[in-house]
Amino acid sequence: MQPQQDPVERQIDYRHPLPVRVWHWANAAVLAVLLMTGLLIFDIHPHLYWGDEGHEGVPAFLSLSGTHLDRDVPQTELQIGSHRWDVTGILGSVIDDGFGGKYLLAAAAPADWQFGATRGWHFAFAWMLGLSLPLYGLYLIGSGRLTKMLLPTRGDLELRSIASEFWQHLRLKRARGESARHYNLLQKASYLAVIFVLIPTLVLSGLTMSNAMTAAFPDLIALFGGRQSARSMHFIAAMLLVSFVLVHVFQVFVAGFFNMMRSMITGRFVVDREDSA
Amino acid sequence: MTELISRRALLGSLAATGTLLAGCSRLDDKTPFRQLLGAADGFTMHAQRLIVAKRALVRELPLAQLSATFPMNGTTLPKGDYYARLLETEFRGWKLRVHGLVDRPLALTLAQLQSLPARTQITMHNCDEGWSAVGQWTGVQLARLFALSGLKPGARYAVFHCLDKLDLDGNYYYESIDLQDALHPQTILAYGMNGRQLPVGYGAPLRLRVETQIGYKNAKYVDRVEVVDRLDAIGKGRGGWWEDFDNAVWYAGQ
Repeated sequence: MQPQQDPVERQIDYRHPLPVRVWHWANAAVLAVLLMTGLLIFDIHPHLYWGDEGHEGVPAFLSLSGTHLDRDVPQTELQIGSHRWDVTGILGSVIDDGFGGKYLLAAAAPADWQFGATRGWHFAFAWMLGLSLPLYGLYLIGSGRLTKMLLPTRGDLELRSIASEFWQHLRLKRARGESARHYNLLQKASYLAVIFVLIPTLVLSGLTMSNAMTAAFPDLIALFGGRQSARSMHFIAAMLLVSFVLVHVFQVFVAGFFNMMRSMITGRFVVDREDSA
Repeated sequence: MTELISRRALLGSLAATGTLLAGCSRLDDKTPFRQLLGAADGFTMHAQRLIVAKRALVRELPLAQLSATFPMNGTTLPKGDYYARLLETEFRGWKLRVHGLVDRPLALTLAQLQSLPARTQITMHNCDEGWSAVGQWTGVQLARLFALSGLKPGARYAVFHCLDKLDLDGNYYYESIDLQDALHPQTILAYGMNGRQLPVGYGAPLRLRVETQIGYKNAKYVDRVEVVDRLDAIGKGRGGWWEDFDNAVWYAGQ
């Protein structure tokens, strides 16, 4: 971005209208519950397959296996693709299955864990995510925020602008002045990816795991290339979303924690002068 | 609440997640949260019933997709003398009972069940744990049995009482579905698996296949089918063993 000729005075923008703030914080809470319950559901069968079927004895592209399950610390191995790592003492926790067998979990579960209840929580909160997403999509389009704030401008896509954006990010440089008033290209791309790709993938792959839903919409299974592929995509999309959240929170600190939190709580965002330190 | 699964050798890097979730699972027993989960489950059922046609068939697969091995889950051999005797006599003296809110209670031997028109379906079994395996199931449609028995007004649920007592708490396994799922054409009581007689590990003499729902609803070792108008007088009142003891959702179409 070219430096502005006149430094912008310290100004307060009304950056985030109420629907944005509500969706943001409601989703933060909902995703936290979905992530925790989702990890626990994954925990009981820490294997990911591609295609339709997937169970013990079927090749998995990600799998935690273990021996000596009777020991306090079972010997465990993590396999991703054709790579294998000894993860004894890092991953792996054994519980009785209640039928004389044992389960190898990826990580220790709470002592009074009820697996069935975990699924119940997951589905209850999935409703909130699934229902709020289309509403938010409609709001973004209807309010014009999608084109105003999220879609890249012609200027964003100029090579020089892209290069400078990457350079700013690498130096963890805080945006100031006029450029702070707009989302930058990387921000736009990641928000668009979360709202229009990642969360829809989570919702659709989740629905694909429902027997009844696939009776009505068999194409869902084809869309993901199989029932187990849908489960794997659900996990992969969730992990990508977690990566987004980590970077997102990190950037909040880089960009100014107080100002960022204020803008997402009250809507008001302070634009620093171009030349302030 | 009975401690379901004894835990040992606890370790792991995601212990923080575990600790937070421990909070959640304790919340499950608090009435408002249980009601919340129950309400969400009911909402799921009604939403699905709105958009899924009543008789929409779950995908049936070609023989080539049959799983070479099929996990044996839950009880793999019911304990006790009664089942041992049934096994010894190859279930010859055993009869499936259909009773409760029916006009004509039934008691049918395995041979009688096998003489009724059969349905064979190759479907994917999806366990709530996350795995899937394909099996071929042969049996009699529940709708056919109910056509024989007739249903009294007020009949709402089919309850499947099983022959296996779960070690965890000493109660017999049971499950229930409502009549819409019970009368679904793919809902069968299977006596055959993969072209052979249903093996003991998979639920002989009979197992329920309710293809619109997930694994634990597909009760093994079915002994009798009771038709009822309400579920609260059975077991602990939540419609199934896992529902009673593990707070599992009753409607498992998801």
